[in-house]
Amino acid sequence: MTHDFDPRIHRALDGELDRTALTPEERTLVERLDAASRALSDFPAAPGGTLTHRVMGIIRRPLQSPVERFRRWLTSPHPVTLSLRPVYSVIVAVLLVALLWRAPETPLLAKHEGVAQFVARFPEAHSVAVVGPFNDWRPEATPLSDDDHDGVWDARVILPAGPHEYMFVVDGERWVADPMAGKYVDDGFGRQNAVMEVRPVRSE
Amino acid sequence: MNQAVLFLLLLLPQQNDGSRLAGHVPAAALPGVHAIIARATQDSLPTEPLVEKALEGGAKGAAPDLIVTAVGAEEARLRNARDLLRGAGAPGPYGVSEIQSVSLALARGLPDRIVSKVVGAVRDTAPGFALHAVADLSAHGFVQDSSASLIVAALRTGLTGHRLLDVAAAADREVQRGSTRMQALAKVRAILPAIPSQPVPPGAMQGATRPKKSGG
Amino acid sequence: MTVGEGPSGSSDAEVIAQVLSGDVEAFGVLITRYEGGLLRFATRMLGSRDAAADAVAEGLVRAYRHLASCRDPARFRTWVFRIVANRCKSHLARRPVGDVSLDDAPPLAAPDNTDEGVERTDQLERLERALAQLAPEKREAFVLKHLDGMSYEEMSAVTGERIPTLKMRVHRAREALLAALREPS
Repeated sequence: MTHDFDPRIHRALDGELDRTALTPEERTLVERLDAASRALSDFPAAPGGTLTHRVMGIIRRPLQSPVERFRRWLTSPHPVTLSLRPVYSVIVAVLLVALLWRAPETPLLAKHEGVAQFVARFPEAHSVAVVGPFNDWRPEATPLSDDDHDGVWDARVILPAGPHEYMFVVDGERWVADPMAGKYVDDGFGRQNAVMEVRPVRSE
Repeated sequence: MNQAVLFLLLLLPQQNDGSRLAGHVPAAALPGVHAIIARATQDSLPTEPLVEKALEGGAKGAAPDLIVTAVGAEEARLRNARDLLRGAGAPGPYGVSEIQSVSLALARGLPDRIVSKVVGAVRDTAPGFALHAVADLSAHGFVQDSSASLIVAALRTGLTGHRLLDVAAAADREVQRGSTRMQALAKVRAILPAIPSQPVPPGAMQGATRPKKSGG
Repeated sequence: MTVGEGPSGSSDAEVIAQVLSGDVEAFGVLITRYEGGLLRFATRMLGSRDAAADAVAEGLVRAYRHLASCRDPARFRTWVFRIVANRCKSHLARRPVGDVSLDDAPPLAAPDNTDEGVERTDQLERLERALAQLAPEKREAFVLKHLDGMSYEEMSAVTGERIPTLKMRVHRAREALLAALREPS
């Protein structure tokens, strides 16, 4: 069972009201909550270094993507004998070249372009998109992705260096100003757009 | 002949913008929006920000009269931005992105006199990053005049462009470390121009794509 | 020690820059700096030290792998708390509702057999039970506010929730814990 407390108690605990303004009974409740917090915070330290050792052990191991594992299998010596007609040999050769050659993932940027990294946490969302003048505010144009399904969505977008207004659109219908942007501007329609400053990738 | 050219100048942008706006902005808003765009074209103001504001209103489901009002406000801000650039003696001609970034700084709450002060100090480079560094400081609770003075001081030490955002970030970090805002500004000013820069992380560009605008 | 800085005086931003420039070992500085707070948070969220260690380890590995997307290195603390909070939610989502075990909750720092000590133990058990019975989002808000000492702005950065929502959750959590202390043992 919970009790509704005087809002003054909460304001005092939030640092919005001086505790000397409280009645003695109210102050007692505040002190009791402080003591409860201290008790819950009193936490024996973990054996020294175990977590560090565990995490560093994992991150020191190099990551291999499935493509890299396959390429390693292809390029390391395995005894394989194929008897093919010449035309099939050509087809296999073309397929192998197509598999082995990987188009560069890193795009070429012009001198005054940069990369905007949009990151958002919407754990219950089925889709998240970023919208702004750079895509005519169309949610279908720039979706974010959450490949490991942990609720953190992201996308990288090449934009001209400088300030850009944007919002997130969640599940195609809920428009949200990025709570982590820290900078906002009125949009003229009763809401706020977040502002991101994109830095040029190459120095002037 | 001149009238024919002017007629074509008025007509062509509307035809391009018209096809971008049709179907994305309520029909009731189109006459008002087109009139504002035509006026901006006549006055050699950038029209792309006006098209974008109309598209934004359409995408957000705003009422037609609100869309027209917002586009009109954007036009007024662009006009003010260009006037401030001229008044501060910034060398023309002014590009679309230059006027837009000044307009956005005004929208973020910087008053005309602060904009003029910073633009006047920037001289030969675009003022966008300088203005937004001041706007960033203002958003974090720093006094606007003191913020502008810090950025002007940074400009005088040779820092330009996005490095001015690092100056603003350095002041904010000082506050997080426990300094008052005035102390933070003084500490950062004392170490100019040796402000740590934000490194570009390796792999930051991987998988980055260019956004697509709708056809026009 | 100021948040965001360690005994060596290097700020989080400076350490992150080192890691991103290739010094993998420098990430150990950030682990040491934040593991205590993260473990405390995760243990109070999950009610189990072992589960908390798993969640924090997973979160720190993910933080390392996505360090480039930490947009504001000066706010690394709230960013890594956000990642670990998400891992805790994933762990909770895999459990049946209400199944927050206190059996392996951490022992008191110094067990005390005096009358006062026994009363403190009893009170702590009641608090831990009340905390475990809170809805996860209220528990999270209370722990971040009162155990990790975050401001509402920082909590908003960690949870993605608006400040009024967080205040309401903290207020309800406080009332529930104080009510638990009033009830007879």
